[in-house]
Amino acid sequence: MFLSMPSDRSLVLLIRLGAFLCFAGWTWQHLYWEAPYGILLWHDTTYAYASRWGISWEEFVGTGAADGFVQKWVSRVGWLYLACAILSLTVRKGAWIQMAALVGGSGLLSILAYTKYLAANSQPPMFFEHGGQVLIPLLLVLAIAVGVRHRITVGTAIVAVILTFAGHGSYALGIWPTPAGFHAMTAVILKTEYQTTRAFLHVAGLLDFFVCLGILVPAIRRQSALYAAIWGLLTSFARPVAGMSLGLRFWGADHFIHEALLRAPHCLVPLYLFLLWYRPRQAGSHESDFATMPSADSTLLPINPASANGQTR
Amino acid sequence: MNLRSILTLSCAAFAICHGTAAQSDAKRKDGRALLSIPEVASKDVICFALYTVHDRTLKLTAQLYPLPKDAPRTLRLEIERSGRWIEVARATVIEQGWTAPFRVANWDDSKTQRYRVAHGSAATYEGTIRRNPVDKDEIIVAGFTGNSINPAHGGDISRQDIIDNVKKIDADVLFFSGDQVYDHTRHYAAWLKFGRDFGEIIKDRPTLTLPDDHDVGQPNLWGESGKISTLPGAADGGYAQPAAYVREVERAQTSHFPDPADPHKVGQDIDVWFTNLNWGRIDFAVLEDRKFKTGPAGRVPKQGPRPDHIQNPDYIPASVDVEGAVLLGKRQLAFVDKWTQDWRHADMKVALSQTIFCGGAHIHGSANGRLHADMDSNGWPQTGRNQALRALRKGFAFHYAGDQHIATLFHHGIDEYRDAIWSFCVPSIANLYLRWWEPLAPGQNREPGAPEYTGDHLDGFGNKVTNYAAANPEKQPGGNLLNTRAAGFGVVRFNKKTREITMECWPRNVDITNPSSRQYPGWPRTISQFDNYNPPSWGRLGELRFDVENPVVQLVDAATGEILYTVRARGRTFTPAAPKGGKFVINAGANAPDRLIARDASVGDDSRTVSLR
Repeated sequence: MFLSMPSDRSLVLLIRLGAFLCFAGWTWQHLYWEAPYGILLWHDTTYAYASRWGISWEEFVGTGAADGFVQKWVSRVGWLYLACAILSLTVRKGAWIQMAALVGGSGLLSILAYTKYLAANSQPPMFFEHGGQVLIPLLLVLAIAVGVRHRITVGTAIVAVILTFAGHGSYALGIWPTPAGFHAMTAVILKTEYQTTRAFLHVAGLLDFFVCLGILVPAIRRQSALYAAIWGLLTSFARPVAGMSLGLRFWGADHFIHEALLRAPHCLVPLYLFLLWYRPRQAGSHESDFATMPSADSTLLPINPASANGQTR
Repeated sequence: MNLRSILTLSCAAFAICHGTAAQSDAKRKDGRALLSIPEVASKDVICFALYTVHDRTLKLTAQLYPLPKDAPRTLRLEIERSGRWIEVARATVIEQGWTAPFRVANWDDSKTQRYRVAHGSAATYEGTIRRNPVDKDEIIVAGFTGNSINPAHGGDISRQDIIDNVKKIDADVLFFSGDQVYDHTRHYAAWLKFGRDFGEIIKDRPTLTLPDDHDVGQPNLWGESGKISTLPGAADGGYAQPAAYVREVERAQTSHFPDPADPHKVGQDIDVWFTNLNWGRIDFAVLEDRKFKTGPAGRVPKQGPRPDHIQNPDYIPASVDVEGAVLLGKRQLAFVDKWTQDWRHADMKVALSQTIFCGGAHIHGSANGRLHADMDSNGWPQTGRNQALRALRKGFAFHYAGDQHIATLFHHGIDEYRDAIWSFCVPSIANLYLRWWEPLAPGQNREPGAPEYTGDHLDGFGNKVTNYAAANPEKQPGGNLLNTRAAGFGVVRFNKKTREITMECWPRNVDITNPSSRQYPGWPRTISQFDNYNPPSWGRLGELRFDVENPVVQLVDAATGEILYTVRARGRTFTPAAPKGGKFVINAGANAPDRLIARDASVGDDSRTVSLR
């Protein structure tokens, strides 16, 4: 465990890492595999707009012999993801253009979450569970712009965690049909039979909702965030653990590793909250030690001033 | 970036926003496919019933709505005799999926019998078990696939046209090749709807419903002998849904099939159901071309944006024909081998499976453009595909299938064009996903006046195929219309007297008995049973003249001992086809090739008279 409070710099680094890994994972999906936008584009309305611009359907979606504009540009979206991944590493305070681009990255991820939502028969949890991913670029921008301990930054992180875990929990509990992958990964990793798998997922789903509530309750928010970080890590790595095999080409890494990476916010956002709220045990310290930090980051959240100053009393 | 590209980008972005908003509007107007489990009165708890009769064994599965807790869990199967209902079997309800499977041995299939399934004192469901039409010249098999119920594809349009047409032609067998259910999580509710939609024709005739990928709740299926799939899209092989779900689906759709040929379960205790159904002297092999098939992800080099899609036209087809990749699998190939040699009570053979043995489309639906090859088709793995075709052609089997969302007619080739069986892929009842057969180069050896897409081609895997017809949908989204999306169904007439097979491909909402009704271009087409194994390079052995009608003839390679084929001849003469330059053993018999006729037959031999009495 940490001996002292983590610095603002390390907290930003954590969020930066989450945003970078998320964009990197999606970049791989876009450039190496397939972007999931087909469900948005193959519609009468799409054609209507194309024809309004004087573009024939064949030019728009391709002739069959050659790609159309849509296919070319959809494939280029991956480069925007790559740019966002790089910006996640380079963005600094005052770099407003880079920040604006990252906010745009949140927009890109929102569109992506929307396509997933449509592909899942418009099930709301599918959209919500991408909350952590959609919000992490915004979180990074806020952490840099207004401070990693600012109420808005922390509030955004809490919303991201709640959305992700509420979405997962809704599926795991079967409020919406549990995705087949949940069963499959659990059964493969834990080697459980169906009934046990169901029970396990129900418990996990309940805990997901406890996280959503617990993260709002000061007394248990650290424990909730720690559990969320660990569970986020485990569920992210469940993909490669369940799917990779020595018998596959590249051990199946090109299929599964990015699935874990793009879910990095599921672990790193609650980890950020846990570290933010972490208080080292010290002799003589008690709740009254907390005060409101005046400060450079303009945060109004109660923190330990001693730690903030790098001192102990 | 030129102005046009900018405009296109703007257009795409706007279309995304507005198009999806419009979708939401459409959803509000039309709603997502309505799928619920209605509450029914206790007299209506039996939704529908499916049956087959094979080898004098009746298997019938009653599909129930959920029963109240206090309702009895036993159903009775009763037969009407002299105006009275006689109980012939009882079945216990399996609550997971609410099915009640009956099995009656020593069934008298020589007469038509009224039946009813009864539950308690109030609920009954009546139908007809037909007599085995062994003496009927023509056996009619209506074929269906892809039963989308989504309003966006016209799936909410009534199936009454299909019901009416099946009744008019009085089909002997119904064949649903797969995707009877598209809902990936609510098979039971969707299956009940399927029963409400088609029960009226199913209850009175043998019906085969082959579960395919969507039925078991995933977009594609490479079953890999029951492995668990964890990759989105399931291209890593195996079943994505829990095994309990898969077992429930298979129980609902296949528990009325004849007993499986090789009943050993695969992984996760999932059953197998590949078998044969002999009905009206047509011997149907019911194949599972998904259950054993290897998943491509991680097995083949990446050639496109999905592990199962090949978009690189310059790829080397042999590079994806990886060692160890399975299609039908050893157990199923062994069954097919045995089946092709067994001609007892059979004049013609038909293979039924989910999809066809080639890449049967070039352009795929979601604005993804040209796809060089799709490993969801049975064109991959090529070695497995060729093994399957080599096995099936040994019985001159005609292949009837679906799944492709586009109706096609192919004559398959292995070593040369047209040296294997014919396949007819039927159109979707309502088409979820559009595909087109549109090769870039005109086919070779086309028939006079035939479209350029017909003729000899190599599919995306380098397999030899000869196309005779393709019911391509219109090129832009077709809205709610069924037929702009090339929806429809197939009818195949097996004439045992002439040994001819006539394939018909009908659009939806036409009266197929009206002479003015038109089929999709390229249909109807009639072939001979013997076209299913008649390589162009072969010659003819001497004519055989028998003293019995329709004997069974078998040709064996004298050098290797390999059986080239076994077939029931038509009439009292038969001129075997055979490769030039080889020596062949000919066996023959009235119902099995149990007598040696010739040891060293070769192409160009004189005719000979054979006594089999």
